[in-house]
Order: sequence, then structure tokens, then C-alpha cells
Amino acid sequence: MARSTGKDAQALFHSLRSAYAATPTTLKIIDLYVGFAVFTALIQVVYMAIVGSFPFNSFLSGVLSCVGTAVLAVCLRIQVNKDNKEFKDLPPERAFADFVLCNLVLHLVIMNFLG
Amino acid sequence: MAKLLLYLTLATSLIPLFSVAFSPENPTDRRVLVLVDDFAIKSSHSLYFGSLTSRGFQLEFKLADDPNIGLQRYGQYLYDALVLFCPSVERFGGSIDVASIVDFVDSGHDLIVAADSNASDLIREVATECGVDFDEDPAAMVIDHINYAVSNFDGDHTLIASDDFIKADVILGSKKIEAPVLFQGIGHSLNPANSLVLKVLSASSSAYSANPKSKLSNPPSLTGSAISLVSVVQARNNARILITGSLSMFSNRHEKSGNEQFLTEISKWVFHERGHLKAVNVRHHKVGESDEPAIYRINDDLEYSVEIYEWSGTSWEPYVSDDVQVQFYMMSPYVLKTLSTDQKGHYSAEFKVPDVYGVFQFKVEYQRLGYTSLSLSKQIPVRPYRHNEYERFLPAAYPYYGSAFSMMAGFFIFTIVHLYSK
Repeated sequence: MARSTGKDAQALFHSLRSAYAATPTTLKIIDLYVGFAVFTALIQVVYMAIVGSFPFNSFLSGVLSCVGTAVLAVCLRIQVNKDNKEFKDLPPERAFADFVLCNLVLHLVIMNFLG
Repeated sequence: MAKLLLYLTLATSLIPLFSVAFSPENPTDRRVLVLVDDFAIKSSHSLYFGSLTSRGFQLEFKLADDPNIGLQRYGQYLYDALVLFCPSVERFGGSIDVASIVDFVDSGHDLIVAADSNASDLIREVATECGVDFDEDPAAMVIDHINYAVSNFDGDHTLIASDDFIKADVILGSKKIEAPVLFQGIGHSLNPANSLVLKVLSASSSAYSANPKSKLSNPPSLTGSAISLVSVVQARNNARILITGSLSMFSNRHEKSGNEQFLTEISKWVFHERGHLKAVNVRHHKVGESDEPAIYRINDDLEYSVEIYEWSGTSWEPYVSDDVQVQFYMMSPYVLKTLSTDQKGHYSAEFKVPDVYGVFQFKVEYQRLGYTSLSLSKQIPVRPYRHNEYERFLPAAYPYYGSAFSMMAGFFIFTIVHLYSK
């Protein structure tokens, strides 16, 4: 039983990899950006766990900048994906413009709250 | 019209003369009314009165039931102090009665009450108003079969000697009274709950208060050192009262005893020639500046200073002590600091404003045995940080700053890549 589950896991992993390789490059770039943002947020949480939350506003500002921009990137990916029937009529330029505007507002707020 | 002006200028020019007597700048009493039973006391107690007049007091002798006596006229007090050497008076004359005497003391003036073995109810009532209870038995005197004074009369041991003084240099002077004080009269007791009354001379533990002419049928109520022979009261408005049960203690009879020195020193204290403090020039400012701000911020460093002087009888001398404290008070003292002195009467302390905002007071509460009480308070508000007074660029937060800027850079690079990639 263990060997068959091990083989099943390997087969699953391989199929995921091949399916992912088929996604367009644009979406892969967005995924990379989201991964970078989440990784930065994780580093900050580990740092706060070690040092303590003294300038709590700075901690919140840093983490929220990462999380916020990751969320906006995910929304961009959903809207730009051609396979998504819900957003078939939405021009990708419009989606990108929304992404840029929201990020500008987000970073303005972050700089104010950074202290 | 011209006549009116003349009278007006005359009247106003005389006003300063009246205020020379007793003022905050010169706290020693000047005009003293002495009420006596009969004028023979003037000669039998001439040494005591002589010591008072030689120190500059203006004594006015009146009979206690003289119908013309009065303590005040038209709302102004005529005297600075009152001496009651009339133990057997039944009713005061003129406008004086127990209520007017109590008002006299309540307005800050001093009082000496001397009872004796024939003390009337009126004198006992005056003493009770001041916080002292004489023995209720009207014929009782203080008797001491061990510490009595050997004298020509040699009788009932009512002339007793005592040297159980209070330990206060302020009240009794710095020179030790070598000879004991001779006393013949009635004793009184103090209510232990009363914090303003002090026993200056107590009887020895072998004394008791009883009628010397009759046999003791039940044990005396007042015994031992609970009997106070001489007491003083310092009221909360700094009026001083001396109460004693022996008028003969003041008389010329007792030479070679400690009476003269004792009474001189204690009169100096009662008439505010000693132990009278004033605190002036309360100042506070931020360390490094010199003017007084209207508001402080939390975590400021500030300095508080005050000058305290003691009246020496003729001039204000600097008061030197190491236990004056200032409180930074809002419902409870957040800071309590002992002021350091430069030995010339200037006291100062530095401390940091606590991390609490609100309306605080600088309070100095100074009550010491025998000294007038100082109660100073100055209000000052304390505000929290303004929004631009917080600390910035903390090293502990550098990772957060770094991540925020790196996210902005990453976003910028991502947009370029996203736009220009196929």
C-alpha cells in the first residue's frame, strides 16, 4: 500500500509539473511575483517572532505591503487569464491599469503608516 | 469738599501704621492683651512680663471682667495675641466670650491660657475648645510624693518638679534646660486622637491628680505621665496656643528653677519668634531653559525649585533641612522627590515627567513638629506626544522599511516585465 501511494504521489507531481509548463509565460511571471511577495512577508513574520513587535505599526505596514500587492497580483492573473470565461470581455489593458492604480494607492498608504 | 479730601488723606496715611504690627512679612506678635484677675499679678509675675516687654511686645493689662475690653473693633483685630492669666473669671467683660476667643484663634492669632487650682468653668471651657481637658474634679491638683519641691510650706506635695520635656529644639530652644520646672496647679490630659496637641511638659510617672485636702476614696483618673502640665497646640492655620494648669509657674517665686528659661523659650515659640517658616519663589522650568512653560510634555526633564526661610525673631534666615519633598501629583503622587538644598534656603530637584498625561500639581506638604506647616501647590498640565514627536527610523524596524521599499521596486520591475514580454 505504501509503495502504491508513493507511486501515486509521484505520478500526481509529474502531471502537475507538465500541466503547469503549459501555462503562458505572462501568467508564470505573475506567479513568480506573488511568490516573491509571500516570501518577503514570511521573512518579516519570522523576524517579529524573534525580536518582538515593538514598532508594531512598522510591522503591519511591511507585512501589509507584501500581502496587499500579492492579492492585487492574483486579481490581475484572474482577469488576464484567457481561459477564464468570466472575464472574457474584459480587455487585459484595463485589468493592468486597475492593478497599477490600486498598487499606487496601496504603497502611498504603506509609506504613511511605516512611521 | 477740601475738608473731605483732607480727612481722606489723613485717614489713608494712618493705615500703614496699623499694619506694622502683625503681617506675613513680620510674623512675630506685637500687641498682646493680658487679661488678669487683679492687677497684683502685674507685680507678682513681673519677671515674666519684663522678659516679654524686653523682647519688644506691647502688653496691655486689663481686668478680665472689665466691661470695655474687646478683641476687635469694626472687624479689625486690636491685638495679635491674648494671654489669659485669669483662672477664676466667671464671665468675661465687654465683647469677649468663648466664641470670640475661638474666632480670634481661628483667624491666626496666638493664645496663652493659664489655669490654676481655682479654675472656673469658663477657663476650662476655653481649654476644651483648644483640645485639652482639665481634670473634672474642681478641687484636684497634681500631687507627686516623689518629685516634689522642698520648700518652706512643706505640706501636701502639690508643688512638684518635672523635667520631662518634649524633645523639640524648635519649641524649647537649643540650650538644654538644666533645672527642673516647678509647677503647682491642675493637670490636664490630651486626647490621643488629636494630632495637633503636643505635651511639652508632662508629669513624672509618680504623679496623680487628686484633691490634696481629702482622703482618696477611689483611684484617681489622671495618673503618671498621661498628666500633661504644659501643652501647646499648633492649629492648621499656624496659630499657636499654650495651655497650662499653673499660673504660679509664671510668677517670680521660683528662682533657681528652670521656669524662667522654660517659659522664655516657650513664649518665643508661641509668639512666632521661632519655628515660623515661609516658602517663596516657587519656580519650575525645563532643564536647560529658564522660563516657566505653560504645559509640559510626557518624558520631559524638568526642574522644580523653592526657597524656604525661617523667621529668627528679627529677620528671615534660610531654613536648612534635608527632608523637604516635592510631589508630582494627580490623584496620587507619580513622583516623590527629596529636594536638595544649597544651605542658603534654596531647594531644588530634577526629575522626568512620568509617561502619563493629564493635569498635575507640584505639591510640597511639609509638617514638622513645632514648625508652621507648608502647603504649596501649583497646577501644570502635561500633554502627550504630538504626531511628529515620536521616534523615527528605529533600527529595530529596518527589515520592515526594507521590505516596503523592496516591494515597491519589485512592483515597478514587474510592470515593465509584464508590459514588454510576449
